[in-house]
Amino acid sequence: MSVFLSSLGFGLITAAVLAIATVGFTMQFAVTNVLNLAYGSVMINSAFVTYYLNLHAHLNAWVAMIGGVVTGSVASYLINRCIFTPFQRRNLPPITIVIVALGVDLCGTFGLQAIVGGSYFNYRQSPGRQWHFWGMYFSTLQLTIIGIAVVVLALVHWLLKYTRLGKAMRATSANMNLARNSGVRTQMVISTTWIISGALCGLAGTVFAMDTGVFDATSAQLYIVLLLSAMFLGGPGEPYGAMLGAVTIGVATEVSAGFINPQYKEVIAFVVLLGMLMFRPYGIFGKEKTL
Amino acid sequence: MSGDLSTAGQILRATGLSAGYDGRAIVHDVSVEATPGKVVSIVGPNGSGKSTLLKSLVGVVPVLGGSVSVGDTDITNMTPERVATLGVGYVPQIDDVFPPLTVKENLDIGGYLLPRHEVAARIDSVLEFFPRLKSMMSRRAGKLSGGERKMLAMGRVLMLRPSVLVLDEPTANLAPLVATQLLEEYIRGFAEKGSTVLLVEQRAKAALRVSDWTCVLGGGRIVLQGPPSELENNPMFVESFLGGGASRR
Repeated sequence: MSVFLSSLGFGLITAAVLAIATVGFTMQFAVTNVLNLAYGSVMINSAFVTYYLNLHAHLNAWVAMIGGVVTGSVASYLINRCIFTPFQRRNLPPITIVIVALGVDLCGTFGLQAIVGGSYFNYRQSPGRQWHFWGMYFSTLQLTIIGIAVVVLALVHWLLKYTRLGKAMRATSANMNLARNSGVRTQMVISTTWIISGALCGLAGTVFAMDTGVFDATSAQLYIVLLLSAMFLGGPGEPYGAMLGAVTIGVATEVSAGFINPQYKEVIAFVVLLGMLMFRPYGIFGKEKTL
Repeated sequence: MSGDLSTAGQILRATGLSAGYDGRAIVHDVSVEATPGKVVSIVGPNGSGKSTLLKSLVGVVPVLGGSVSVGDTDITNMTPERVATLGVGYVPQIDDVFPPLTVKENLDIGGYLLPRHEVAARIDSVLEFFPRLKSMMSRRAGKLSGGERKMLAMGRVLMLRPSVLVLDEPTANLAPLVATQLLEEYIRGFAEKGSTVLLVEQRAKAALRVSDWTCVLGGGRIVLQGPPSELENNPMFVESFLGGGASRR
């Protein structure tokens, strides 16, 4: 029981990081129709910007995180503008964009490795005191990450449900031509979506690096498996499903890691992904791409 | 039927219009004019290019030749969002609402170009026109029946108080009674309130009842046009659309 509870605690932290990342990932897919497999490389590059601001500009890690968020946002916008959009304009089959995204991911990850080398890095940041709830252990750092995730998800809900931009994003996701006929400038909405989801990607990269404690240029390479699993579990393009999917995958992988070899975490996520694709390709809510 | 939806219509004019996909014209050399306060209908068999014609007018399909104008403004190949700002409301035949959004959110998107403080008042006007929508404001559009969905689609475009309404087979898949109400009460009502209405309709008899002018499209070209009273007596029109085995009623 104690192994289960302590694993559940780890699962909640993993779920918090994954939820931030998956919501951004699924928003990108829903509004822009791009399955951005380069998401993990943008995450880790953003984490490294935070690292340099933290270590070399001597900024507090939480303040340096703003640099990571801005990096994710700008990098995602530029990747779309300079790489994905020219390919999309040629009306190529969707698989082309997936291959292009994979190429961008490899360039981003190994380009970063060429710059920073193969060493491991960590932020200059104390995890803070330990807290103990119902058999689960959390550091102040981990509780802060969970708090950030809750606030971010609430903000995303507010954005999508109660703002003009959010409704325009959902309308663009549901039916782009009809949104245009209603006067929505969909290209502006798509660009804004890249900026917002990129900011979530940068934030996810930084809290991911904070949570793992030690990271290198390739740390987020397999993260795409967790992202895809969480997204397909909740339904592709479904932000609320992504939140639920992230919690499920985060908890399932960490709890199972408590009983079997932790190196199989991604394998378990991958099995969930395969199961969802086989039996419920539109996720547990059973809907096609919506936002 | 009430609600302050009166508007100053504008002339919608297509001159020598050719349009299609991937550089291949489906509509050839079509000229049509719709004027304020009138309903102009386009009828024709499946595949005759009716929907392509409407889509080219509102910027969804590229115009390959000729021109389109609203009032004094040339809108040829203008983007759909710019066409909307000029007061042209378009209801497509299918995919005419945003299914995951609620009825209220669909109307909000319809009023996207309005100043924020005007949106609530406009929704009230639209609800006066379509009172049935009042009780379903928080329901997802994807859960509505065919008739309710079409009312929402119309309500969405009415949010901008359009001077020109372009409607693509609004009665498709509707029960006959609902279709008749939609055509004779609502669509005729738009024109009576000053809008310009251009309508594609499969039910030729019903189209003639509400139209001031009707064009027959065949093979992407206008093959016949005139006032309903004239077409009703045209043997070719009667043979093709109103009687015999080819009846479309």
